[in-house]
Amino acid sequence: MSLFGRAALLLAFLAALYAVGAALWSRRPGQQRFMVSAERAVYGVAGVTTVAVFTMWTALVTDQFDIADVAGYSSRSLGTNYKITALWGSQAGSLLLWAWLLSLATALVVLTNRRRNRELLPVVIAVLMGVAVFFTSILSFITSPFATLSPVPLDGRGLNPLLQNIYMQSHPPLLYIGYVGLSVPFAFAIAALVTRRLDTAWITSVRRWTILSWMFLGIGIILGSRWAYEELGWGGYWAWDPVENAALMPWLVATAFLHSVMVQERRGMLKIWNMVLVTLTFSLALFGTFLTRSGILSSVHAFGESTLGPYFLGLIVLVLVGAFALLITRLPLLRSQSSLESYVSREAVFLYNNLLLVGLAFAVFWGTIFPVLSEAVRGDKITVGQGFFDQVAGPIGLALLFLTGVGPLIPWRKASGAELRRRFGLPVIVALIVVIPALMVSSDGGHWWAAAALVLAAFTLTAIASEFWRGMKVRHQLGGVSWPGAVGQLFVRNRRRYGGYIVHVGIVLVIVGIACQGAFSSQGDLALAKGQHGTVSGYTFINEGGTRARNDHKMSVGVALGVYDGPDRIATLNPGVDVFLAQMQRSSEVAIDSTPFRDVYVVLVGLTPDGVARISVFINPMMMWIWVGGIIIALGALVAVWPSRRSRAPASIAPGADGAAQA
Amino acid sequence: MIYALIAILSVALVALIAWPLVSGRVPADPDTAEQALQVAEDDLSRSLDAIREIDMDHRAGNLSDADFAELDREERARAVELMHRRDALRDEGSAS
Repeated sequence: MSLFGRAALLLAFLAALYAVGAALWSRRPGQQRFMVSAERAVYGVAGVTTVAVFTMWTALVTDQFDIADVAGYSSRSLGTNYKITALWGSQAGSLLLWAWLLSLATALVVLTNRRRNRELLPVVIAVLMGVAVFFTSILSFITSPFATLSPVPLDGRGLNPLLQNIYMQSHPPLLYIGYVGLSVPFAFAIAALVTRRLDTAWITSVRRWTILSWMFLGIGIILGSRWAYEELGWGGYWAWDPVENAALMPWLVATAFLHSVMVQERRGMLKIWNMVLVTLTFSLALFGTFLTRSGILSSVHAFGESTLGPYFLGLIVLVLVGAFALLITRLPLLRSQSSLESYVSREAVFLYNNLLLVGLAFAVFWGTIFPVLSEAVRGDKITVGQGFFDQVAGPIGLALLFLTGVGPLIPWRKASGAELRRRFGLPVIVALIVVIPALMVSSDGGHWWAAAALVLAAFTLTAIASEFWRGMKVRHQLGGVSWPGAVGQLFVRNRRRYGGYIVHVGIVLVIVGIACQGAFSSQGDLALAKGQHGTVSGYTFINEGGTRARNDHKMSVGVALGVYDGPDRIATLNPGVDVFLAQMQRSSEVAIDSTPFRDVYVVLVGLTPDGVARISVFINPMMMWIWVGGIIIALGALVAVWPSRRSRAPASIAPGADGAAQA
Repeated sequence: MIYALIAILSVALVALIAWPLVSGRVPADPDTAEQALQVAEDDLSRSLDAIREIDMDHRAGNLSDADFAELDREERARAVELMHRRDALRDEGSAS
């Protein structure tokens, strides 16, 4: 089985290498058959990589412990679902996942571009298959997932207990789908530069890819946060850990790109900037894999040691130098078709939002790599604390929240003072109404930034709701449709715009959750004998008895806690601790009672032989809205990319403002 | 058995990739005129979307009458220009 898997990967490497050469050769006149061959090579790479992945899954499910990764990351007692996800538990396995997703994405690009972008496609294939060559060469010659062991162990070491979690089953593949998906816009951008076809065609072609990749990356980040919240047992969900930052950085820059492409499409501006953003996004996606896999920074999310850092660094340098060198040679072709007419216009708001998003990504990048730089320069590793990130991300996040509200209120090109006063009236009034209660709840402890977040959230949600209301009103009046029908028409006629607004609602909810948890959470420790009770932040906890259990797989202790809010029993929580015998590793089983207003989060620190439970209690306000916001963001993104029924342009234009302009 | 499977996989892959090179069928080079027409139609489609959006913004009260008149006039002029370009490309295509 090992030999078969290795052969499949070697074939994938050779086919990808051929695809690069054949695709580039096909650009010569009369060599079109090489393009057809290159396209088939892409399908071939997808096919044999799929064979390699299924070979690995077969090895995992059937306990082939002669394969080192199976012995290292699976065991006979591991459930089948975790055996499947053990594929990306190892370093080589996760790179195999990368290569597989990339090959499938490239095949999809070829399939969906059979009748369009034919001039761009050879270069697109060359770039994507070039990346595939990198991954398949690493998998074939440096770190194979099919490496064998001798002697063969009777059982495997099993999967890291921290990874035996529903969120960790889906978090890595979703992140990788995001990373891989972001390579497609990059490939189209390079193709546009190489072929000098620098109109908006490449941007239109990758719009859905970019939004979906951004969405998957975002869902991956949210699920990773949820995993950290439930599995690490420290009451939080985000610690500015290097691996968390590694996923956040490309997401931030991709967010900037999604906004700035609209300026290029509408106004023919920011063409160079968009090329820079798409290159940075892809480079940061590679950097994310590099950070996770290089082992240069310690992380709670990194589960493998690696020596692959230099290879990834080499690829990142190649991507950056190659892309920017190409960009410089094409600068004369990338002149803006128009200029910024007003600093109070939608394109200007997009520009500000871009500067803030890229600035935040740079700050996160700096804080992430500073320990490495300090070690290289001064000899000692200086870690950048959470305070640095919070101080930078807080104000920038608030400014972005403000712009999220302002953007829909300001038209393209310019806005008159009278219009602005009228448009901003209601959102400002609602925000002012929220000021007093926000200040009241945040004055205790001086959490003014949390108050600002609540006020801006009210402003932004009102602005978005007003946009929906105005659009519905027009549709209702124009088409004589019912109010629900008017909502439907809004989405049918402009899914991108209104899907974007739904995403904004999700972002606001996430920020509200982050701000409230950060500012108003409280924590307390209790030691309770059986029948004893204690109180944290107004909630009373009663120890109703401990449990102990042991099987072949793990030892478990737990405690039943009755939770009361005043006289009312609101929940029974069962926090516990598992000790996994194969790894002798401890894992907290956190118990959470969640409502829209707060989470009661309990960690069992220890249970003494005489039944005294030592627990840590965290009261986290509004936590649920972070996860709900994530779901709404995903739904909004899906609305934005959903295919439109409208196909070709109509032959005429309806009479306009001056009653003329028919064609 | 494993060697036979590897051989089958390799032969299948080579056959898949090499067939266009040995089959003797020569596909046509990409039709640049057709692509130019596609770009023009896409640009026109975006321009018409922009006209609709400007109209919606005006009806929704997001644009003053003066701003709307200016923006609408300019975007319509652009759309007309794009229609002419698209028609010219269509004529070129049918002539050739």
